[in-house]
Amino acid sequence: MSETVSGPVFAILAFACIGGAIGMLSARNTIHAALWLSEVMLAVAGLYLLLSAEYLAVVQVLIYASAMSVVVLFIIMLTLREREGPVRMADFSIGGGILAGLTGVILYMALADRGDRISAMPVEPSGTAALGELLFGRWTLPLEVAALILLVSLVAAVWWSREVDS
Amino acid sequence: MLSGYWHFTPEVLVVCGAFAALFGGYLPGKDRGAAYAAAGAAALAAAIVAFGGTGGPIVFGQLEPDSVARYARTGLAGLTAVWVLWVAGRGMPGERRREGVALALFATAGGMLLSMAEDLIVMFVTLELATMPAYVLMGYRRKDVSGLKRALDYFVDSILASVIVLYGLSFLYGISGSTAFSGLELEGSGMLGFVAVMLTLVGLFAKVSAAPLRHWTLDANAKAAPVSLAFVSTVPRVAGIVVMSRLILAIAASAPAIGILVGVAAAASMIAGNCAALSQGDLRRLLICSGIAHLGYLMMALAAGTETGYGAAVFYAVAYAVPSMGVMLVVAEEGVAIGDFARLASRRPWVAWSMVLWLLSLIGIPPLAGFFGKLYLIGAALQAELMALVLLAILATLLSAAYYFRIVREMFFGDEDEQVGGAIEPSHAATVALALCAVATVAIGIGAPRLIAALGVRFG
Repeated sequence: MSETVSGPVFAILAFACIGGAIGMLSARNTIHAALWLSEVMLAVAGLYLLLSAEYLAVVQVLIYASAMSVVVLFIIMLTLREREGPVRMADFSIGGGILAGLTGVILYMALADRGDRISAMPVEPSGTAALGELLFGRWTLPLEVAALILLVSLVAAVWWSREVDS
Repeated sequence: MLSGYWHFTPEVLVVCGAFAALFGGYLPGKDRGAAYAAAGAAALAAAIVAFGGTGGPIVFGQLEPDSVARYARTGLAGLTAVWVLWVAGRGMPGERRREGVALALFATAGGMLLSMAEDLIVMFVTLELATMPAYVLMGYRRKDVSGLKRALDYFVDSILASVIVLYGLSFLYGISGSTAFSGLELEGSGMLGFVAVMLTLVGLFAKVSAAPLRHWTLDANAKAAPVSLAFVSTVPRVAGIVVMSRLILAIAASAPAIGILVGVAAAASMIAGNCAALSQGDLRRLLICSGIAHLGYLMMALAAGTETGYGAAVFYAVAYAVPSMGVMLVVAEEGVAIGDFARLASRRPWVAWSMVLWLLSLIGIPPLAGFFGKLYLIGAALQAELMALVLLAILATLLSAAYYFRIVREMFFGDEDEQVGGAIEPSHAATVALALCAVATVAIGIGAPRLIAALGVRFG
C-alpha cells in the first residue's frame, strides 16, 4: 500500500466492507441481506475514491449501489409470495467456507508473489472524457454487441412474461 | 480500417434475418414465413462467408477474418440455416416459431463474431451473445414448468461459468497489460499466471461442457425439447470451442504447462463421456454424453499446443456438429426414447439410412467427415508425441461404436411393438434440412484434404 492511501480511512472502509458481507450472510431477513449488500457496494465505492478512481467510484454508486440494489429488492418483493417476514434459514456451508478460504489464500499468495508484475498504473488518472472517447472509438464493436445482448434479454423477458396464447 | 468492414456483411445479414423473424407477423406466411426468411438470411450469410475472401486483422486488431474463422463461420451460419429450415417445416413444440428463430439467429451472429475474436473483451462480449439466447431456447415452452426449472438451472450455471471466465480474463489482462490475444505474455508470471489460466480454462470448459465440469449440462439438458437441444448443443458450442482453441494456442506459446491441463481434461472427457453414454436409454442424454466424449478427442489435439492441433480441432468442431445436429433433429421428429426408433428403416427408409450415415460419421468411419476429423486430431497429437492420449482416443472410439450401433440395431431390427408414436406427417422443409445435413456429412469428408490444408494444418 502506498503512503498516499490514508491508513485509518482504509481501515474503516475495509471494516465496513467485510462487516457488511458478514452481515449479509448472517441476516435472517432477505431484505436486510439486500440492504447489507448495498452497504458493501457503497464501501467498495469508498475504496475506489481512496485510490483516486473517481469514475469507478461514481459508476459503483450509480450502477451497483443504486440500480442493482433496486433490482435485487424488486426481485425479492416480486418473488416472495408471503410479504410477512421473508425469513430464511441460517445456512452456513462448511464446504463453501473452506473453498472461499482456499481461494482467498491462493489469490493472496499469487498476488504477493508477483504483485510487481501487475502493469504500472498511470500517474495521472485518466478522465471520464478520455474513457468516453475510447468507448465510442476503439471499443465500439464490443459496445454494439453489448447492445445486441440487451436486445436479446429484452426479447427473452417479453417471451417469458407474455400470456401464453392458445 | 474502414476498408475491412465488408467482412461484417454476413453477421449483419444474420442480424437482419433475426429482426425479420421478430416482425414475422407482417411477413407473408406469418410465423412460417418468418422462419423461411431467417433460414434464407442464414444460408446467404454462409454462402457469402464461404465464397468471400479472408483478410488480416480488422477493427483495431480485435477481429481476424482468417481462413480458420472463415471455415467456422460458414459452418455456424450453415448449421443455423439447416436448423431454422427444419423449424420452418415442423415448428417449435407447443409454441410459435418466430421468437425462437430470432434468438437462434442472434446467437449465430454472436458465434460468428466470436470465432473471429482476437481480443479478450470482444471474446467475452460475443461469447455472451452466442450463449444467452440458448437459455431461452432451453425453456422455450412456457407451459412446461419442469422444463423452465431446468432452464433456470442452466442459466445460473452458465452465468457462473461466465463470471469465472471473466475473473480469469481480468488476471490475464493484469499480467500482460494487453487484451489482444497476440499480446498475452505469461512468461515468468508464476502463481498468478497459473491462477489466471486455471480460472479462464475452468470457465471455458464449463461453457463448452468438458469433462470435470459436465454434470450441470447433463442435468439441465436432459429434459429440454430435442429441437432446442439440436441448436444449443451445436452452434453456440462450436463457436465456444473455436475461440477456446484460439485462446489456448495464444497462451500455449508462453505457458507450455497449459498442454498438461488440457490433456488431463481431454482424457477425463473421453472416459467420462463414453462411459456415461453407454448406459443411457434417453437419446438426449446419450447424445449429450457422447458430445462430451467428442470434445475430449478434440481437446487431445489442443493439448499439442501447435498450429496443426488448432486447425484440426476447429475442423473437428464443425465435422462433429453437422451429423450431431442431424441425429438430434431426427430425435425431435421420432421421440427421445431409444424404443421410439424401432423399425424406423421400414417406416422411413431414407431417414434411417441418413441416421446410419451420421452415426457412422460420429464413430469415425471413412470416407465421412468424422473419420477425417479424428484422423487429423490423432495426427496432431502424434506430432506432439501424446501417445497415451492417442491410445485412449482409439479405445474410446471403439467403445463409442457400442452405443451408436445400439441405435442402428433398433432402427433395423427393433421390436415394432415398442413403437408408440403415430405416423409423422411429411414436411418438405424438414426433409430438405435433413438431406442437407446428410450431404454436408459426406461433402466435408470428401473435401477434407482441401479444407484442412486451408486451415493451415501441415503434417510431416
